[in-house]
Amino acid sequence: MTDDTDFNPRAPDFAADPYAVYARLRQKPGLHYFADLDMWLASRHADVLSIVTNPKMPRMPGGILPSDELDRRQRQDNFHDMPNHQRFVQFSMLNSDGDVHDRLRRQVFRLFTPLYITSHRAVIQALVDRILDRFADGAEIDFVEDLAAEVPGHVIGHLLGVPEADCPMLRGWSENIVQYFDIDRSAERKALAEATSAQFADYLRGLKRQRRESPGDDLTSKLIAAQDAGDMSEDEFLSTAMLILMAGHGSTIDVLGSGMHALLSFPEQMQRLREDQGLIQTAVQEMFRFECPLPFFDRYASDEVTVGDRRFPKGTRFGLLYGAANRDLAQFDLADHFDIGRKPNRHLAFGGGAHFCLGNHLARLDMEIIFTTLLARFNRIELVEPPTYKPGLSVRGPKALRLKLSRG
Amino acid sequence: MARIVFIEANGTSWSVEAAEGLSLMQLAVNAGIDAIAAECGGACACGTCHCYIDSGWTDRLPQPDEQEAAMLECVINQTPESRLSCQIELSKTMDGLVVRLPGAQR
Repeated sequence: MTDDTDFNPRAPDFAADPYAVYARLRQKPGLHYFADLDMWLASRHADVLSIVTNPKMPRMPGGILPSDELDRRQRQDNFHDMPNHQRFVQFSMLNSDGDVHDRLRRQVFRLFTPLYITSHRAVIQALVDRILDRFADGAEIDFVEDLAAEVPGHVIGHLLGVPEADCPMLRGWSENIVQYFDIDRSAERKALAEATSAQFADYLRGLKRQRRESPGDDLTSKLIAAQDAGDMSEDEFLSTAMLILMAGHGSTIDVLGSGMHALLSFPEQMQRLREDQGLIQTAVQEMFRFECPLPFFDRYASDEVTVGDRRFPKGTRFGLLYGAANRDLAQFDLADHFDIGRKPNRHLAFGGGAHFCLGNHLARLDMEIIFTTLLARFNRIELVEPPTYKPGLSVRGPKALRLKLSRG
Repeated sequence: MARIVFIEANGTSWSVEAAEGLSLMQLAVNAGIDAIAAECGGACACGTCHCYIDSGWTDRLPQPDEQEAAMLECVINQTPESRLSCQIELSKTMDGLVVRLPGAQR
């Protein structure tokens, strides 16, 4: 068993530069045992890809471990005694596998395909134009709060038929719930996650009543139709709507912030994008690779499995370090260089396998429109102060990004 | 083993020696054919390994299952020849199979 001294995601220097830590992990042979979470960490691209695409490695341990062990782990993770969080957040399409997962995903995937998402381009463009209209020549803004946070949540809210005025509140709730998936599971954070889960479920019950009275072309109406057809339960309805709203907020905001920061850190790449807007799709993909917004997920072995050249018993828990895999020189030339034309770019920021990010096309379209429009409107974008990144292992993005925007 | 011919939208043609046990998608990715994005890695979850099977071959391959058929409804420029290449397992009987690739996966 390897020691744990090299990997401390709670340390301040990890948030400042996780990539130095990831590079050390990648150089170690095999996987790295992380005692805090009793799991084996995969940091190389090939290892992460092999785990994430292996059907014997589901997201959840249900059916793999005996029920007393499942209880013990739930308590160890401090996920017990929070009934609303357990019903609507701990259970979800994301946290299910096999037939249940596939049935839930079938109810929503058509609304996240490139064809359908692209049909919302004009709505997103109008929203981005309206926000950018607020910024005068020479304005100093917090890119995260004043721009990034205003777009993805509003767009996903629009898709679900949520009134625009409610979107900031839903963003706050999403953050309260998502923060509890990080490694800090204090009593205070637990109480907040549970209370917010209850509040969020109540809100969605109200939204459902409204949509029943006046159905629309929105995702909520489609989920109601699925429930009426017997394809999902009431709890599954609430959990799926909550998951989509939560997933539509934080991670896109984070990668918008880190993507903007990358453009500022590699000014020749920002200039290249200004000169050739046709590079926007590969540029956005590179932002996801360079600063993966959700750099950590886990999987369980449902049977004895092999990773690299080592066998692991049934029940083994694996940690997938997407942020480390995306900087692996064995997969990416000059992996620590930000290259907006990188192609192919087989990054793992959207995960892989059956749980491959459902909303990836929406996140990419949001970002393509924001960066294209911002660069077209402002000829000079300058960093006012270096950003600080959020601490922790599960999320990656700047807390704030203060910029000066100039037309001239 | 069989040889598979991939033809990109711009006319570029690739003849690749198949390997048993791989999917058509894996063969294309291993050969460096970027027109197959295959972003989910082969789980029928993303629709970015879309290809067109030459009409003479469509009936000779196992037909799409329910999940693949549902994903195919959502790809760009779907035709009766559309398939997801991650769902086609290579076999010796596929020698000479011609696979046309779309200009864009999204």
